[in-house]
Amino acid sequence: MEKIKKRFISEIFYSILSLSSIILLILGWMYLASKRPELFPSPQETWDRLILFLEKPIRRIPLYSHVLDSLRRVGIAVLLACGFGIVLGTALGWSRLVKSTFGTIFELIRPIPPIAWVPLLTIWFGIGEFPKVLLVFIGTFAIVVVNTAAGVKMVEPLSLAVGKIFQANEFQMLKEIVLPASLPAIFAGIRTALGVGWAIVLAAEMLGAVSGTGFLITKGMSIGDTALIFICMFIIGIIGALLSVLASFIERRICPWKTDR
Amino acid sequence: MKDKRINKVEVKNLTKKFGDLLVLDNVSFKIKKGEFLCVVGPTGCGKTTFLNLLSCLCEPTSGDLLIDGEPANPKKHNLAFVFQEPSSFPWLNVEQNIQFGLDIKKTRQKDKKERVERIISLMGLEQFRNSYPHQLSVSTEQRQVIGRAFAMDPDLLLMDEPYGQMDIKMRYYLEDEVVRLWKELGTTVVFITHNIEEAVYLAERILILSNKPAKIKEEVLIDLPRPRDVADEKFVKIRKYVTDQIKWW
Repeated sequence: MEKIKKRFISEIFYSILSLSSIILLILGWMYLASKRPELFPSPQETWDRLILFLEKPIRRIPLYSHVLDSLRRVGIAVLLACGFGIVLGTALGWSRLVKSTFGTIFELIRPIPPIAWVPLLTIWFGIGEFPKVLLVFIGTFAIVVVNTAAGVKMVEPLSLAVGKIFQANEFQMLKEIVLPASLPAIFAGIRTALGVGWAIVLAAEMLGAVSGTGFLITKGMSIGDTALIFICMFIIGIIGALLSVLASFIERRICPWKTDR
Repeated sequence: MKDKRINKVEVKNLTKKFGDLLVLDNVSFKIKKGEFLCVVGPTGCGKTTFLNLLSCLCEPTSGDLLIDGEPANPKKHNLAFVFQEPSSFPWLNVEQNIQFGLDIKKTRQKDKKERVERIISLMGLEQFRNSYPHQLSVSTEQRQVIGRAFAMDPDLLLMDEPYGQMDIKMRYYLEDEVVRLWKELGTTVVFITHNIEEAVYLAERILILSNKPAKIKEEVLIDLPRPRDVADEKFVKIRKYVTDQIKWW
């Protein structure tokens, strides 16, 4: 009884501690805002700007629509990256032949940071939807491929031996053993891909777009609207966190054996 | 008493060399249909090679392995193998794991359900049906792996020290379990172990392998009634005899 009480008290203590750190952050923010109001909008101003934005959308596009535009670009790109990436990654991890052909080309292209593709993509495809989705695809594809290939390589030899004993053919080996065994690794890849994809789409939108959160934040910069920039940063952060939660949720649904560990 | 059962497996002059290293030297023996055969031998005498040959995981240098009078062909004959380490698939629950081999062989849905149900009820795994391997104890997991092998209704079931990592209590329990399944289903079993007591407890016949290169040193028939008593005078006598024949220390 005494022990439970003690633990309860320490729980409360640490909760208060983390709450006060947030309060401290806001106090610091308010202090800075009072010192340099032209650089730091106060929490109140930021809130007012958000309300104004909701009432009077920029370019007649409501806030949620900007967010959805960005999310759609990431969604399509990551979905495609998963589709192609899992196939190529499995092939890379499974077959020497694929590894020494496609694998070599892939290893040459992979170290190029996705942002370095921007000029070429802009010359080739302009600044429409397609090059943005393509840029996110380029950035996330490699992540999915590398994780999948690693997962396939790490399948327990014992599991493969069991498949062999049961006379599984190559397709059954891949479908029934290799793929499920590498699912956790593949999901680690998808989770990273979502995070990175979210970062890349912002970069793509900042370099030229008429909608999306990346566009909003550069808009804020060009008109010196720091409150708008703040709002965008908050939203970008929240969405990023939500994407991570979403990935965990899907992972739990698809890999139920990983849950109560 | 003469064993009237027909021959299921026939091993003729089986020899295996790895380069110049002779591992298995001209081994010949027969296994009756539905027999429980234990193989014991000194550590490192080539038991694993022996099993790999029987399971067709590797090719013999010379000699034949016949099942039902025909050369063993994994495509045609049904072989099952229980590995030393628990080899269930973590992404399948108990029921799906037991069903795995049947899925691979594309067994008819109705037969599949029937066999899986039979195994589950024989092994008393009902309450674990939907559990994943990481939720099970090691012994329950190994039971499920053994169930998976029996579910295949194999022509030949090979077991490679499946209880090597269990404590003694669990081992006694699982030994009884495997005897029960074997009696119930009439599967032909080859069980490899280095635990002599286990071999005498389980087997109808024990093959004693010699040191490398492995030959069959002796065959010991055990016609003790079941359930056997490890403290019984006859049991102890056989155990001592087999031990003397091996003497790897």
